[in-house]
Amino acid sequence: MAKETLDLLQGTLDLLILRTLSAGTLHGWAISQRIQQISEDVLRVNQGSLYPALYRLERAGWIEAEWGASDTQRRVRFYRLTRAGRRRLEQETENWNRLSAAVARILRTA
Amino acid sequence: MRLRQRLRSLAFPLRALLGRDRLERDMDEELRLHLEMQAEHDRGRGLQAADARRAARVRFGSVEAVKEECRQSVGVHFFDTLAQDVRFGLRSLWRTRGFTSAVVLTLGLGIGANTAVFSVVRGTLLRPLPYAHGERMVVVRQGDPAAGVSNLGVSMAEVGDLGARARSFDGVAEYHSMNFILLGGDEPRQVRTGVVSAGFFDRLGVAPQLGRTFRAEDDAHGADAVLVLTHEFWSRAFGRDPGVVGRMFQMNDKPHQVVGVLPPLPQYPDQNDVFMPAAACPFRARAVAAGNRRARMVQAFGRLRPGVAAGEARVELDHVLANFKREHPDSYPAAAQPTGTVEPLADVMVQPARPTLIVLFATVGLVLLIACANVANLTLARLSDRGQEMAVRAALGAGRRRLFRQLMTESLLLGLAGGAVGLAFAAAAQGALTTFAARFTARAAEVQLDGTVLLFALGVSLLTGILFGTLPGLPSSDALARTGGSAARTAGARGGQRTRTALVVSQLALSFTLLIGAALMLRSFAKLQAVHPGFQAENVLSLGLHLNWSTQSPTQFLSVERQAAFHDQLNERIRALPEVSAAGTAWTFPLNTSFRNDGSILIEGQDPAGTLPVAQGMGASEDYFAALGVPLRQGRFFSVADRGDASDAAIVNDRFVERYLPGGEPLGRRISFNRGQTWRTIVGVVGSVRQAELEREPGPAYYVPFRQFPSFSSTLFVRTQTDPLRLADRIQAITGELSTDTAVGPIRTLEQIRGDALAPPRLTTTLLGAFAALALIIAVTGLAGVLAYAVSQRTREIGVRVALGAAPANILSMVLRQGLTSIALGLAIGVAGALGLARLVSRLLFGVAPTDPLCFVGSVLVLGAAGIIACLVPARQAVGIEPMRALRTE
Repeated sequence: MAKETLDLLQGTLDLLILRTLSAGTLHGWAISQRIQQISEDVLRVNQGSLYPALYRLERAGWIEAEWGASDTQRRVRFYRLTRAGRRRLEQETENWNRLSAAVARILRTA
Repeated sequence: MRLRQRLRSLAFPLRALLGRDRLERDMDEELRLHLEMQAEHDRGRGLQAADARRAARVRFGSVEAVKEECRQSVGVHFFDTLAQDVRFGLRSLWRTRGFTSAVVLTLGLGIGANTAVFSVVRGTLLRPLPYAHGERMVVVRQGDPAAGVSNLGVSMAEVGDLGARARSFDGVAEYHSMNFILLGGDEPRQVRTGVVSAGFFDRLGVAPQLGRTFRAEDDAHGADAVLVLTHEFWSRAFGRDPGVVGRMFQMNDKPHQVVGVLPPLPQYPDQNDVFMPAAACPFRARAVAAGNRRARMVQAFGRLRPGVAAGEARVELDHVLANFKREHPDSYPAAAQPTGTVEPLADVMVQPARPTLIVLFATVGLVLLIACANVANLTLARLSDRGQEMAVRAALGAGRRRLFRQLMTESLLLGLAGGAVGLAFAAAAQGALTTFAARFTARAAEVQLDGTVLLFALGVSLLTGILFGTLPGLPSSDALARTGGSAARTAGARGGQRTRTALVVSQLALSFTLLIGAALMLRSFAKLQAVHPGFQAENVLSLGLHLNWSTQSPTQFLSVERQAAFHDQLNERIRALPEVSAAGTAWTFPLNTSFRNDGSILIEGQDPAGTLPVAQGMGASEDYFAALGVPLRQGRFFSVADRGDASDAAIVNDRFVERYLPGGEPLGRRISFNRGQTWRTIVGVVGSVRQAELEREPGPAYYVPFRQFPSFSSTLFVRTQTDPLRLADRIQAITGELSTDTAVGPIRTLEQIRGDALAPPRLTTTLLGAFAALALIIAVTGLAGVLAYAVSQRTREIGVRVALGAAPANILSMVLRQGLTSIALGLAIGVAGALGLARLVSRLLFGVAPTDPLCFVGSVLVLGAAGIIACLVPARQAVGIEPMRALRTE
């Protein structure tokens, strides 16, 4: 039971990361901040689980990482969406929309 | 796309592993930065530096745990676990050294045999021909199947017309091969000479190793004669001296310049020493001058246009040949229906090798399967011995998958070790196998342990590991942990016993199939060995004689009279030797598989418009028959008087009489082999000699006096009262005295010639026999092992039975029953398998049906006997069990 919830969360986090990166390259901390900001603090990214997710997405080839200089001239690791990642994002977004629409319908009518 | 992703997700952990330090550094740095930025952010909101850092850490959670999760995400663990498994596996295999070495040796034999045979299959059957256009080269033949002639040959004029008319080819080259004498070296050297159209090598796509190959102008009438050396001859005769290019040699009365050296190449159909352009061949020049379309003395090689299939070319060829007959009716017998065949050169070159290699490959495959089954059984037994170890590991939390993975790692390690040993075996067997393959195909020289073969060995090793690693199966780790290991033992004893028996039965079945194969080959070989070739092989020396094509040489062999005189003198001198009882000459030696001289003949009084009889012609001197020991059935042999224009004598063999003159009186009948222009009278009937393959029934043949039809290349036969090889030097000396430019060779006894003909089937039989024996040994030791294991499992039970009064005979029959059931099952399945396999072997068999009952019964007896002996060992062990001791165990 717990495992299913975790899967859902994991999948959601992946989707959020991909979506965040679709706007441009960001480093890890900025990703967590952006998600929090945009969701108006509704979603709070568990910062600990952000990095394993980033590494997983990198392994899957959906994002790429590269060391570079930040605005404050710090050496940080930037993440960028790959083409495969962009496709994946489209797919996931569509799945998510379908899922949430379906859930919403059920909640409204049932 | 998916594949790329897959590869990537596999490559990623590998990269991560190799850059392990970098990964750790990156991770440290990235996480540290994250915490720093978070703290900075919080400080911006008014927190103290120390508090901000703490808050950031709290929010982040355990850094180490995150790192660990990251490592898992990247997949580094896969390799950590692998390294662990490998280390553990090696230790565990080392502890059971006996088991390990038995397994590695068994697998080594199996994998080695497969690798070695595969290297031959790859070198000959699978590799593309080492010519640039090899896949488009075809052998073009003209035959008359209606008259029973598969290969008429083609004439030079026909090759030219074919090239001009048949649109399927973008070139047709002519080829024939002759023996000439090369002068200008240390001594006259007989060279096998391939005579080809100038474009021959360009069409093949062969670039010279040194110098050049032929150009169109080399083939022009009156061009300077040039030679191209084969790599093999260049190495043998000139020690690979690059200076040989440009050297002049005397050949056929003309200076010939060496213009190039070929790279090492497989040759077909002859193993030539040198090549010359067609225009330079004196023999051919005479025939061309005669303008005779019926002088079908050459062979044709075609190159298919890109995209044209051999089948399409054949259809067109038939059409073109039909036109040839219409336009030149005098060039074919009236009833002839010339038809063509177009076969890829690559296929033709390996045709004789293919069936043997396929059978051999199947055989070693079965041997490996048997070895796998045996190893699976050993692994199963070892597994139940490791029950406790498994239980401990399961109790400590190792999942079934984890345990299975450990076992699989060990199996793969064993497979790889077996593969390494197998490669060593294969490398050791390489030389012998190449020699073996050379008996069947010129492509044997291409056999090597190259990258593909190594990959094959690796693949087979891994596959073997997986196969015998999966076969035994594994109880669930729950069961293992719960029962404290006895699950493994019980699994080994019950379910395992079934698996074990199934494995042993399949081993027996497979090895029975191999036994049948070996038995069939053995019987076939015995039959072949018993074949009477039509001559008495004992104490006969055969010497190849090759005269120089010269008008200037003192012997001036271009005239028939001079050639005849030379042979007369030679035979006379040899006959004068005290050890010699007969000496005769003929065009070639018997059992010469490359000699084909079938032609249509006319028999006086038979319809010349009907399908003409076909017979093989041979020039033979009067003592040829005595020297070979060919019996006279009727009439007389040739005599000294059969010379010049005085005689029209011909001799036929008894096959000829049976087939074409049944019931009549053959003597005095007249035959013609030039469609009635001249006639020869049959003066004698002799026994039939197998002139070509030993396997082939001799066909109708006629003989003409060698004196009237001498040949520049001939074979001299000397029957002696002592060891014939002892005369070789003396005969060579006599030849040298009579003619300084005549080359002698090869020098062999008729028994050696017969032995050579028997060598390929003998080798095949030996190999198949050895593999069958190996398989049998593995299978019956497997059977003995399984029975012994069953007895050891039932020690208590047997003890109780004995205590309760079971007689030794009862115990014995109990064990034997189990063994015999396995054997019977194995035999039943094996018979079915062998019947299926029979079709595969049938092409190798001579005079034996693939379902030969004798072979089946014999194999059943051999396997049964070996199996029962294998049963007796554990059975005696069972009988020897003392009840008291047995009950005290456990």
